[in-house]
Amino acid sequence: MNLSKNIFKIVTLSAVLALTACSTKTNSAVSNTTQSSSSSETAGETDPELNDLYQQENQLFADHKEAWDKAFNMMNKGNADPSADYAEYLASAVEGNKDEFTEEEYKTLTEDLEKIREIEKKIAELESKQSTSASSEESSSESSFADLSGVDFDGNKVDKSLFSKNAVTVLNFWFTGCKPCVEELPKLNELNEAIKAKGGEVVGINTDTFNGSGSAIKDAKKVLEQQGAKYRNLSIDSSCDVGQYASNIMAFPTTVLVDRNGKIVGDPLLGGVDNQENYDALMKQIESVIAADSAAK
Amino acid sequence: MDKKNKMISKKIAQFRGWIQGLATLLTNIHLPNFFKGKIYQGNGKKICVPGLNCYSCPAASGACPIGSFQAVVGSSHFKFAYYITGFFILLGVTLGRFICGFLCPFGWFQDLLHKIPTKKFSTEKLKTLRYLKYVILVVFVILLPVLMTNSIGMGNPFFCKYICPQGVLEGAIPLSLGNAAIRSALGKLFTFKSVILVSVIVLSILFYRPFCKWICPLGAIYSLFNKVSLLSIQVEHDKCVGCQQCTKACKMDVNVLKTPNHPECIRCGACMKVCPKNAIHYQFMGKDVSKDKNKLKEK
Repeated sequence: MNLSKNIFKIVTLSAVLALTACSTKTNSAVSNTTQSSSSSETAGETDPELNDLYQQENQLFADHKEAWDKAFNMMNKGNADPSADYAEYLASAVEGNKDEFTEEEYKTLTEDLEKIREIEKKIAELESKQSTSASSEESSSESSFADLSGVDFDGNKVDKSLFSKNAVTVLNFWFTGCKPCVEELPKLNELNEAIKAKGGEVVGINTDTFNGSGSAIKDAKKVLEQQGAKYRNLSIDSSCDVGQYASNIMAFPTTVLVDRNGKIVGDPLLGGVDNQENYDALMKQIESVIAADSAAK
Repeated sequence: MDKKNKMISKKIAQFRGWIQGLATLLTNIHLPNFFKGKIYQGNGKKICVPGLNCYSCPAASGACPIGSFQAVVGSSHFKFAYYITGFFILLGVTLGRFICGFLCPFGWFQDLLHKIPTKKFSTEKLKTLRYLKYVILVVFVILLPVLMTNSIGMGNPFFCKYICPQGVLEGAIPLSLGNAAIRSALGKLFTFKSVILVSVIVLSILFYRPFCKWICPLGAIYSLFNKVSLLSIQVEHDKCVGCQQCTKACKMDVNVLKTPNHPECIRCGACMKVCPKNAIHYQFMGKDVSKDKNKLKEK
């Protein structure tokens, strides 16, 4: 009896711990996203920091103006390679013309060079930090489709240029056996008719038909016909960017808006547009994308 | 005392909690998915797990048999779920409701809740509610998905959609915690099913396994095989002294002496643990799982 009581205590304790672990995990996930945005802010703020370092260098040049001017005059400007290490570049100039300087001048110059080396090191660090944070920002944001490849249900090839033809492309991800997906098809057709003139298009992406399976396309076509959906549907390659995006979708139907540049606008809509509330919200978003597009022209 | 501990049946019953925990872990092996807010979609999902365990649990290793059954009979492609029915028969004939007692994650969940120390109530007088689970099986799992279809023959998985608390516990809650898009899509149905889940939780603390007794369609299916399954419970009447400890200990309200393989028996082995004469044990294909018979002969 005691044993089972103890076991029970351990189990409840671990359950509680597990739950708290879960919540901290999600919290940290949330704070991660906020973190990345704040780091981009600091990336902007590092500019003054960099400036400060450059100022320190200039101060050294100013402090020992005579010696440095002499050195600068001896440099062959044509050899200047901005990508090379600046400190080493100065050092080679000083070393190369060592004989031209007085002993005292040479001493100050070499001392300054040491300091410049350190400053340059800091600058390089800061710059690399900035560029990595910028690149990680780019790679972490899934807000854009880099490529799209596949065919439409009539066999015509499609690629990323599909997006550029419309101010907004409404991408609807569905599969043939998904009841709510199938049930919203008529409403999606209605939506397509409504936004056609304004420069929008609804495009269906059926995940059963990935990589062009013939019988799956036939099945999907039949369902589209039965539901009176006449807009374009695609069979895409699962390896392309849109295909990868689809493989991460956990609930169907999911609808996303894509602008002319292939960028995903706003949050994906989960659930059918046969729910009028969803339809209206989506329509509002579509209109704002179209407005932004015409403003950009 | 020594002889008692050597009995395999009793040992199985004593380690039931650990077996349940292990079964739950194996049924939900993809634990890192909890933090990713994603569900595993690999080949394991083509196979059913024995217990009631939501397909949409991020960690789930396989598919829920009840969910799969509804998905297949409700699809426009298939008339009947032969594979899953075969799976039910195979497991039912082999183990019966031993699955409820030892392998089902939702059964374990209720067992743990029942350990919360409060006043406990007997379900003895609520025996008629037992039949509700057969009604749920026939109506929500079979009839509605087959009959309530749209123009192109697609039905809803009614039990999953409107009743199953395991779906909320394992699917909706963890997925929505890890996935903002799903969180934004939660609506009235989620609220409704959360109420069911909370009710089941509260009832499980006060009663023993209310969901298994009254609602679970999977338990209803396995219960049909309890009397004929290869694994069974045997009472040795020559050893029995008629003290009725077993029936008193049974939390599923089974009269162990009269009907040891009653459809309600989940083979938890509580009766074996209390029997002063070690007269109750598991049998597999008519052979004793316990060694004590041989032991007695040796002595």
